[in-house]
Amino acid sequence: MSILSDLAERARSLVFRRSEERELADELRFHVEMEEEYRRRTGASHADAHRQSLIALGGVERVKDDVRDARGTRWLEDGIGDVAFAARMLVRAPGFTAIAILTLAVGIGGTTAVFSAVDAVLLQPLPYSRPGQLVRLYQHDVNEPGARGFVTPVHYAAYRDRMTSFAAAASISTYSELGGDVLTPGGVERVRLLRVGADYLDVLRVPPAIGRGFERGDEDDASGAFRGRDEIERGAHVVLLSHSLWAERFASDPAAVGRTLSINGEPYVVRGVMPQGFSDPVVSGVDAWIPMSAAPGRDASNADNHYLGVIARLRPETSIARAQAELDALSDRLASEYPSAKTLRATLYPLKEDIVGGSSRALELMLGAAIVVLVLVCVNLANLLLVRGSEREREFALRAALGAERTRLVRQLFVESVALAIAGDLAALVVARVAMSAIVILAGGAIPRLAHLSLEPRVLIFSLGVATLSAIGFGLLPALRAGRVDPNETLRGESRAGTSDVAHGRLRSTLVVAQVALAFVLLACSGMLIASVRHLDEIDLGVTPANVLTFELHLPDARYDSTARARTYEEVARRIEQLPGVRAAGGISKLPATGAYNQWGTTILSGPLANDPRHGGHGGVENRVVSGDYFRAVGIRLLRGRLFDAGDDVAAPRRVVVSKTLADEFYPGVDPIGQRLNTGGGDYAIIGVVSDVSVNAEGAKDLYIYHAHTQYAGDRNWALSQVVATTGSPESVVSAVRGAIATLDPQLAFYHPAPLADVIGRGTAQRVFILRLLTSFAAIALGLSALGLFGVLSYGVKLRTREFGIRMALGAQAATIRRMVLRQGLVVTAIGLVIGLAGAALASRFLASQLFHVKPLEPTVLLGAALVMSIVACGAAYLPAWRATVVDPRTALQ
Amino acid sequence: MTDPRTELLQGTLEMLVLKTLALEPMHGWGIAHRIQSMSNDVFLVAQGSLYPALVRMKRRGWLKTSWRVTENNRRARYYELTAAGRAQLGVEQSAWNRASAAINDIMSVRTAPARWAIEGT
Repeated sequence: MSILSDLAERARSLVFRRSEERELADELRFHVEMEEEYRRRTGASHADAHRQSLIALGGVERVKDDVRDARGTRWLEDGIGDVAFAARMLVRAPGFTAIAILTLAVGIGGTTAVFSAVDAVLLQPLPYSRPGQLVRLYQHDVNEPGARGFVTPVHYAAYRDRMTSFAAAASISTYSELGGDVLTPGGVERVRLLRVGADYLDVLRVPPAIGRGFERGDEDDASGAFRGRDEIERGAHVVLLSHSLWAERFASDPAAVGRTLSINGEPYVVRGVMPQGFSDPVVSGVDAWIPMSAAPGRDASNADNHYLGVIARLRPETSIARAQAELDALSDRLASEYPSAKTLRATLYPLKEDIVGGSSRALELMLGAAIVVLVLVCVNLANLLLVRGSEREREFALRAALGAERTRLVRQLFVESVALAIAGDLAALVVARVAMSAIVILAGGAIPRLAHLSLEPRVLIFSLGVATLSAIGFGLLPALRAGRVDPNETLRGESRAGTSDVAHGRLRSTLVVAQVALAFVLLACSGMLIASVRHLDEIDLGVTPANVLTFELHLPDARYDSTARARTYEEVARRIEQLPGVRAAGGISKLPATGAYNQWGTTILSGPLANDPRHGGHGGVENRVVSGDYFRAVGIRLLRGRLFDAGDDVAAPRRVVVSKTLADEFYPGVDPIGQRLNTGGGDYAIIGVVSDVSVNAEGAKDLYIYHAHTQYAGDRNWALSQVVATTGSPESVVSAVRGAIATLDPQLAFYHPAPLADVIGRGTAQRVFILRLLTSFAAIALGLSALGLFGVLSYGVKLRTREFGIRMALGAQAATIRRMVLRQGLVVTAIGLVIGLAGAALASRFLASQLFHVKPLEPTVLLGAALVMSIVACGAAYLPAWRATVVDPRTALQ
Repeated sequence: MTDPRTELLQGTLEMLVLKTLALEPMHGWGIAHRIQSMSNDVFLVAQGSLYPALVRMKRRGWLKTSWRVTENNRRARYYELTAAGRAQLGVEQSAWNRASAAINDIMSVRTAPARWAIEGT
């Protein structure tokens, strides 16, 4: 009760401060008048009565002050004054304020964004129930432990049925999305499909929002007709819609379940709708899920046919180690059951580690860089505040001399620092938002899980806390010092370069050394990454991507059977080649340097290694199907034999073209032409050897077997990416190519036209992302250290204005003085560089995994970084040096 | 020259103000003089310390204020006891009674033997 009345009374005093003051004055005047009257009545003279009554009261102003104290709002009243004063002080020094706020904003904003990204990708669990039980299963050859290959349908069926450790397991076809043409009133629209096993939603434990999930029965093709190898992957014609596709195609109508959707010209019945926000853990942006047939798993000839991604959920009480032990035992049994796959083994990886794995290093690097920048921000802030504190020494001394208490000075500086920190923090929020969108754009899909990035409150609080505390801490330093300074000394104005200043100058120089060192580390690291990316660009991928256009062309299964597909792809290539500006055109089932695709178990059937138990079986040789003049279009050279021609049709014996490395490895010392091999369950004769291509963007040569699409007519449907070699820029032929296809079949969807160079550069996207981020950080660091150096030298010049004036009055050359100031800056820079070198050596060890053909501590890079640092330092030092020489001796000495 | 008047005992000002206002609402000057005259001019109220004390007591919810016109037609701020103030007066009164009785006891022990004092209670 009394606490309430107390607070109410204090609040009232605060709100009605002015009327309260007036009432107090009235009350005291009344008191004095009454007292005067009383004293006159008791015999005092007129003048005496007034004086005595004032004395009795003890002075009107003193009583007023005591009453104000008693109101209990004194601290707040003073506080309001402090805040107003602080705001005035900050506005009066716009340069200092702007730089300090900018430093805080960039530092906190940038680091918060990066911390949030790291948190979203590395620290947050997968968004499924009990994500720790989710694993990914990979197959590998017993001789290649650690390799992560796709799983065969036969093995997948065995794992699913026999692994007691699995609560559920699901396959996803090559764990990549398929394109699908959805018929809409406005024409054909392309969507992303994922073909999955029936237990897919049981693994992820996400029920559909509406309708049901898939059932085991969906794994049998509803039509039952055998229509070629590719088509047996297809299950029942049912579909699960993503929330967004449901909203788009069915206007969020709950009655959509049971209706049909035309995909690739065939009707699919809507089985269910997934909840909003649901996404596949690996592939983002899936629009619809369709079931996968289990039929291939029942065909033993597929026991070395790898094309499935497999995820599984462990039983709650089962550890991954126990599951692995069971899997090992099962793999041994399967090896004896399927002789064609006797060297196959399988390994489980935690799903999250599998998804995030490659990115974690990248993010740790970013985190390191962000921390360095945060430290730089604090150091810079410290420097700024120290310089400003020194500048205001006279002000503090004056106020101390006028009777201001030290606590009052400290409090006022505290308020100033807090005001500065709050302004900086607010600006930082804006910067963090912008930086986060920038990170998502920069990442360009190279880092999984980054699309869901949001500002992490804990991270924000941490960065704000660190910067705010350092602002307040270093802001208070001058006030604490002010208490020790003798006002007389300071006010005499002679001691501006006194001993305390020398000590503080040393502190500031030390801070600048730290800044230069930290900035150098970041600069050197990004230099090494830049060199890496340059090397990557110079890598020979085995193709000449310049002036090659790629695009996708989807032939709907309903109208194009496998024979028609083969014919159409050849026709497309022929027609495009007749266009002006086109050198060659063709197609391939997976573009080079974009990753692994059809890795088929392969056996050598002839030559010295034929049936060799050690070399005979090869798991995972890259198989590709080509059409048209593919090899010439992308610049793969024919080394021996011949390429496919019109004679290699469905009636001819099966023939393949192989890569040089495969020819050398499989058939050492003999002519590879005419040798035989078995791959993906079929026997082939080799008719040609072509130059190697890289399977990824880093130049890893792999073994390749090429098939002609024409030979698959009537057997299997292939979707080929098209390539067009042009004489001019790839973009210039896009409309002509589109027109040529439209004349062939106006309903064909022509999409994703892009220069080949852009498409095959995707593998480097992650490295480029790190590079861009680190480079931005290095630029910020460089800027901060330049700012720090500039600040310290400028202040030094200001302190020595008199000295310079005297020197110049005594005849010193401007150049001499300039050199003096410059030298001071360069000495500080040099010390910073030496320390930074040691830091860079340490940092480059963490960088090693991201470097490509660059030695950690590459001398040219370090030299370059040192050069950049020195140039910037010279610039930062020159301005104060120049200013020192324009001092007019007369004003300096006044 | 010795002044027979004496400063108030430490911490008794608020109790005396409460007592004064228990009789009737009063303005600041009136309170000071009432205390002085009720103590037969023994106590001298430091007028300067009266007003901060009144503000504190108001904050605690013991007093309420209002501007009224005095008998000789002047505007003055009158102080009045609240229910909480009345209760507080009771608390202070009994505390004072206990304390002053105890002090009296101690002070009257001085020349007599201790045993006598114990019998006397």
